Amino acid sequence: MTALAPEANAALEPVRKALRAAAEEEAAGIRSAARRVADKELEAARTEAARILATAAAEGEAAAAAEAAARSARARRQAHELVLGARTAVRVELRRRVREAAAGLAEDPRYPELMTRLREKCHELLGPDAVVSESPEGGVVAVAGARRLDLTLPVLAELRLDSLPEAGAQWSA
Amino acid sequence: MSPAAVPGSPDGAPGPWLRDIAAQVSHGDVRELRGPLLIAGSAEGVGWDEFATVDLDGGEQRHGLVLEVDRDLVTLQVLESTDGMSLGGIGIRFQGRPLHLQVGTGWLGRVCNGRGEPLDGGPPVAGTDLRPVSGWPLNPVRREPPQEPVLTGISVIDALTTLVRGQKLPIFSVPGLPHLTVATQIAAQATSSGQSFRVVFAAMGLTHADIAYVRDRLEERSAAEELVLLLNAADDPVIERILTPRIALTVAEYLAYTEGHDVLVIMSDMTSYAEAVREVSAARREIPARRGYPGYLYSDLATLYERCGRIKDHDGSVTIVPVLTMPAGDITHPVPDLTGYITEGQIVLAPEIDARGVYPPVDVLSSLSRLMRSGAGTGRTREDHLDVAAQVLAALARARQAAELAELVGAAALSETDRSYIAYQDMVEKELFNQGQAELRSLEDTLGRAWAALAALPEQELTMLSTALLARYLPRQADRP
Repeated sequence: MTALAPEANAALEPVRKALRAAAEEEAAGIRSAARRVADKELEAARTEAARILATAAAEGEAAAAAEAAARSARARRQAHELVLGARTAVRVELRRRVREAAAGLAEDPRYPELMTRLREKCHELLGPDAVVSESPEGGVVAVAGARRLDLTLPVLAELRLDSLPEAGAQWSA
Repeated sequence: MSPAAVPGSPDGAPGPWLRDIAAQVSHGDVRELRGPLLIAGSAEGVGWDEFATVDLDGGEQRHGLVLEVDRDLVTLQVLESTDGMSLGGIGIRFQGRPLHLQVGTGWLGRVCNGRGEPLDGGPPVAGTDLRPVSGWPLNPVRREPPQEPVLTGISVIDALTTLVRGQKLPIFSVPGLPHLTVATQIAAQATSSGQSFRVVFAAMGLTHADIAYVRDRLEERSAAEELVLLLNAADDPVIERILTPRIALTVAEYLAYTEGHDVLVIMSDMTSYAEAVREVSAARREIPARRGYPGYLYSDLATLYERCGRIKDHDGSVTIVPVLTMPAGDITHPVPDLTGYITEGQIVLAPEIDARGVYPPVDVLSSLSRLMRSGAGTGRTREDHLDVAAQVLAALARARQAAELAELVGAAALSETDRSYIAYQDMVEKELFNQGQAELRSLEDTLGRAWAALAALPEQELTMLSTALLARYLPRQADRP
């Protein structure tokens, strides 16, 4: 291969310039396209990140709200149960006192009359063969075969308490 | 307490406790114990369906219902079963009448077991009135047809299978689907326009985890004294389940017809109830019908479901949403089958929709509210409601065909219209049907979402909607996604 003639260099100069310019232009084009793609990817990644963040925040908020609601629900329920528990305690106490007071009614002057009526009631319900005996708690217990009737004073007192029309009204106030 | 109040005494008014004294007679002649049944002899004057208290030696008390009387032989169904009982030392006190329940507003805010006894630590629920739990048969001519919607805040139900005041609309599900979550969401969110709304939730055979979920989820409503919770857990006596829905309905009837509330009764799970009925029937050695259930299962279920409705000259209403699981997804199983005969439609949950991550997984093409026309439309919900619902369903049916075609020939080979139907199905599931478990959607929001999904279809496909409705509600092209 022989070197170009010295005058050829000068003649090729515009070609070289043109080639170089074209290459540079293409490089710039590639560069800017790459930048555009990178920007786009970056933008998409940022959007995706923001979306994930927003979803996570919303989920977290919802979970926290649900947790808070559940906690407050439980606290409210416990408070309500305390009130109900107190009502039960009062009720149990009242029943205990009523039973006690009923046992004391054996001293009442009307007690013998009551006993007569209770005996009559036992015979009416269990038949004339029923064996009726007085209970140490007051009142009577009757037995006829496999049937038994407990009409002791505490039992009668509780029955009466349950049958009062206002029974229970005091517990719901 | 005065002894003068003893019956027969001069000033003692013979109050209801006269019967109470007769009910104190304790019968000790127990002949046989068999599963949930107890056979007692020498019990004269006892009637069918009487309630009884069974006293055991150690002071324990159980409860029973008289199933059968043959001369002086009585068959008693013991609610807590006869496990651990021995023939000696049992005393049975017959109440002289079927089980009665004290009903009143005192039930609101309370949590009780399946027999109506408190679980919340409170005293027994007191009431102002005594009612038999089996209910009074309602004179058919005094009934009024169901009307006005009960809005649940769940889009797919409100839009396509609207629940109506006084209706009975069951949820058909299979084990493993979130039917309890849906039922609880309905219980937590349901309202009716202009009326005070109350909910009675009867849980039958639920696990303790499920019960804890229901209690937490409904606490808000319970604290507001708008809820009655009756809980029969999976490990509670099975036979007790026979009473649970009856107690729920008795309380609901009082709240509706005496207090004038709109009452929603949720009963979950009715399959557990039917199993209890089957257990008693088997113990009685009755001839079994389909799958061992008794032949009278239909009429038994009807005595429950038919207690819903509205009554002339009374404000309130009783609406029933029973939940039932179909073993192995079999819709011909006796429980869903017989339920379907009685109820007015059904909401069907489907595993394949659940698998797509849609909650609530309602299969809308199998679901139906027969009374929807009485509860939706002009003057009730919105003028476009019924037409939109019809169009949404029709388009979904077409979308299903298009999807089947796409499986055969590939989506690319479909026409432009068919592709729009597939896009519509996707949108309707994601935007309209899919919903948060605590999300309450207004009817406006729901119908807006339905219109937005319909906008995915070409306008000429919307043949069930009048041009006036299209002009008013269809999102304009520019606003469409």
